[in-house]
Amino acid sequence: MTAAEQLGIAGARTYLLDRARAQGIELEVYAERDTSTEITAFGGEVSEFKLQARQGLGLRALVAGAWGYAFTENLSRPALDRALDSAVENARLVTPQAGSALSDWPAPPALDLYGEGLSGVGVEQKVRSALTLEAAARGADPRVTSVPYSGYSDADSERLIGNTHGLERGEKALHAFTYVAPLVSEDGQNKMKGDWQFTREYTELDPTHTALSAVEKSVALLGAKPAPSGTFPAVITGECVGSLLALFAPMFSGKMVEEGKSPLAGRLDGVVASPLVTLLDDPTLPRGLNSRAFDAEGHPSAPLTVIEAGVLRAFMHNAQTAARAGTVSTGHAARHGYQGTVGVGHSNLLMLAGDTAPEQLAAGLTGVQLTGIAGGHAGADPITGDFSLQAEGFWLDGGQVAHPLEVYTVAGNILDVLRDVQAVGSEVEWTMHATAAPAVRVKALALGGS
Amino acid sequence: MTSTPTPAVPSGTTTPALLDATLAAEVLHLARAGGADFSELFVEDTVSTQLRLHQGDLKDAGGGNLFGAGLRLLYGTRVVYAYTNDVTAGGLRDLARTVARAQGGAGEVTPGGAGGLDFRTVDARPLYVAREHPLSAAKRDKLALMRRAHGGAAGVGDVKTVDVTYSDRVQRVLIANSEGLWAEDERVQTRLYVNAIAQDGTLRESGYHAPGASRGLEFFEEVTPESVGAEAARIANAMLRAGYAPAGKLPVVIGNAFGGVIFHEACGHILETTAVEKNASVFADKLGQQIADTCVSAIDDGTLPGAWGMVNVDDEGMPAQRTVLIDKGVLTSFMVDRLGAQKTGHARTGSGRRQNYTYAPASRMRSTFIDNGDRTPDDLIRSVDHGIYARTMGGGSVSPGTGDYNFAVNEAYMIRNGEISEPLRGASLVGNGAQDLLNIVGVAGDLALGQGMCGSVSGSIPTDVGQPHLLISAITVGGRA
Repeated sequence: MTAAEQLGIAGARTYLLDRARAQGIELEVYAERDTSTEITAFGGEVSEFKLQARQGLGLRALVAGAWGYAFTENLSRPALDRALDSAVENARLVTPQAGSALSDWPAPPALDLYGEGLSGVGVEQKVRSALTLEAAARGADPRVTSVPYSGYSDADSERLIGNTHGLERGEKALHAFTYVAPLVSEDGQNKMKGDWQFTREYTELDPTHTALSAVEKSVALLGAKPAPSGTFPAVITGECVGSLLALFAPMFSGKMVEEGKSPLAGRLDGVVASPLVTLLDDPTLPRGLNSRAFDAEGHPSAPLTVIEAGVLRAFMHNAQTAARAGTVSTGHAARHGYQGTVGVGHSNLLMLAGDTAPEQLAAGLTGVQLTGIAGGHAGADPITGDFSLQAEGFWLDGGQVAHPLEVYTVAGNILDVLRDVQAVGSEVEWTMHATAAPAVRVKALALGGS
Repeated sequence: MTSTPTPAVPSGTTTPALLDATLAAEVLHLARAGGADFSELFVEDTVSTQLRLHQGDLKDAGGGNLFGAGLRLLYGTRVVYAYTNDVTAGGLRDLARTVARAQGGAGEVTPGGAGGLDFRTVDARPLYVAREHPLSAAKRDKLALMRRAHGGAAGVGDVKTVDVTYSDRVQRVLIANSEGLWAEDERVQTRLYVNAIAQDGTLRESGYHAPGASRGLEFFEEVTPESVGAEAARIANAMLRAGYAPAGKLPVVIGNAFGGVIFHEACGHILETTAVEKNASVFADKLGQQIADTCVSAIDDGTLPGAWGMVNVDDEGMPAQRTVLIDKGVLTSFMVDRLGAQKTGHARTGSGRRQNYTYAPASRMRSTFIDNGDRTPDDLIRSVDHGIYARTMGGGSVSPGTGDYNFAVNEAYMIRNGEISEPLRGASLVGNGAQDLLNIVGVAGDLALGQGMCGSVSGSIPTDVGQPHLLISAITVGGRA
């Protein structure tokens, strides 16, 4: 590792674009710089304090209709040259694909994701937030035996995109975040459920509220009884509908459609869900977890209606999948930072609220209230829509919560769930996966219990 | 900001070190200025390749250079961790000063200047040396392997869509600490992943197979790319016309190799000191106690040459070990890293691992498996009247606090009257680790390992799971029939 002089991300972008132009290479540079703080509290003390500073560049070279990628965190000139060579070498191996092009897109919308900044917030204040969170959770109920997961984090990040067609974009974003999961025990049963808060302004954090809410949710799960096996009517909470949407969001990707991996392929303008279901993807929400003024190619962001009253209206596209589908980019180019390749992904996927009051959703229903799912990385298949997942929730008897359920499974197909929605709640809940939904009542879900 | 690229000072090393020893000593010392008991520097230079073939065409080609350093301080059992990818002398000094300030100035260490450390080089002779090193192999050779894998799956039965992903990673690391430890290592990993989608009208099902190793491309002489493709295709075809799995509590025979994900999720994670030290493990106070049937012995091994989960040294610079976790049903050890040892009093087991410099190390699994028993797979299946044969498994997860876990079954069959019967799709298994371990009542003798990426507090790392075929007397199966 020859620790030669390191350029900043803006300098590295300029250096690379100049080099590419000189060599007649079409190039896109995607750069990120993040600084963040993470403070973990345990047993009334700061158990871990983490300071992070990271930057890097992702290159995408277009050679004879084919993309080649490379990334580097080494921002010395020799390392940047190596990355450029590597991207070009990769492009020469790749099969050329229709619709490969770089553009100088129109200007993005004005979107403030930075707010007041964190410059006035000292380390002591952040430490206090973490300690308050843990202490509040520990002290909230005698059944809290420990708070294994609890912490504060924030991040100050900058994203730059540029290409040899003249595009230059930059955006700064900031957030503060708390997360807590208390372990509660009673009569030999252990339960744990977390809660969290995401804000753009430090001053909006309310650690005590988050802690009390997590304890309340965890304690509610105590006294669980075995779940029955069979098919039952169900109410699914908004957070849980949101988690399902996050697992199945790839169904709406133009890339998955063209690769034959979406069960919605060929169904544009057809009925795919209950008329009560309307789904938007909105990157421009000021407080959304995945908000951004432009996508991973620099294309300006705008809200997109995906399902309108049960009818499939659009797939999400980046420039290339759009060109091949005979349409225009919806601004959904996505990449997992500078290390990833450009694909298609949702920003903030939102199911709109309905008009049923939360307390009316379960009215008269004997069945299950599904409050959480786990295991989606393996137990949900976006290619078919099928899922079989670890589940959490309550048994409902005549519309009333009877008791919590021991760990059980829930199985079905997401398209059946969306089709079987009978009522939609009036309050939207967000998930940590940048999806949001109201609670819904569905005709039936298959449970696996004792 | 520049520094002189000086080769390593410690004796016995022949390749240039990632960092000059004098600078490392200075940084370790500076970092302790706030009174830390211990400082540790982790420097990394990683080169990776990622290639994706879709329907026989190379669609994505990428990879790159991960480059940075992490600095960990311990104040008792409190951790301060910071990282940067400004790995210049100035950048590292800044990092050290920042991390020293993070705890305030109490109990300052006298600034005695640099070079106060007499580094002792850890004997980290590689357990396995790659013959066809990924950095020496041409990308065209890697592409050729992918095309062979594609050929193994494309058009087999009803397979219509095939994706092949190839990845390799060469991670060079340096670990130095204020106790004078100096360890350098190179970790080489290669992996092939095939996803096959079988389709008949509107019926669609996918199958995948993804073997990997801490070896060079010679790994694919032993595990041929064709066989990887064929296995993905076999699963997709077997499941294409399957009915849905039943739901309820049933006896289950779990296949070998990746079937070991059950132990990984149900028990492995809660035997890591990161869970034990927080009392977030149901096994925290069970050392020396019978926690499983006598037919169950479980091992976490970092010393298997060329295994996906192999470690020459862990990410705290400790040589790899073989750790017996459960011996004939009795809990004999946890997986212990430096901090876990400090907090629980158990001896370190060389289990400190991390994805890269952006994570502090934590106790993590390596190659974790249930050892061979004395039954045969046939024998286990014949003993079930009405149950499930979970032949190949997908991934799973666990909540360490409660021990509740889940995992997905990729390929399942009904067992009726001791015979394997019709295929089943969409099965998942859920349960509670401590309870279900007691329900393992039969273990066969066909131990094999499967490869996965394990995500936890210190990132995503390569681990093997493994087991022989085994019988669980009752477990909750999630299906919808």
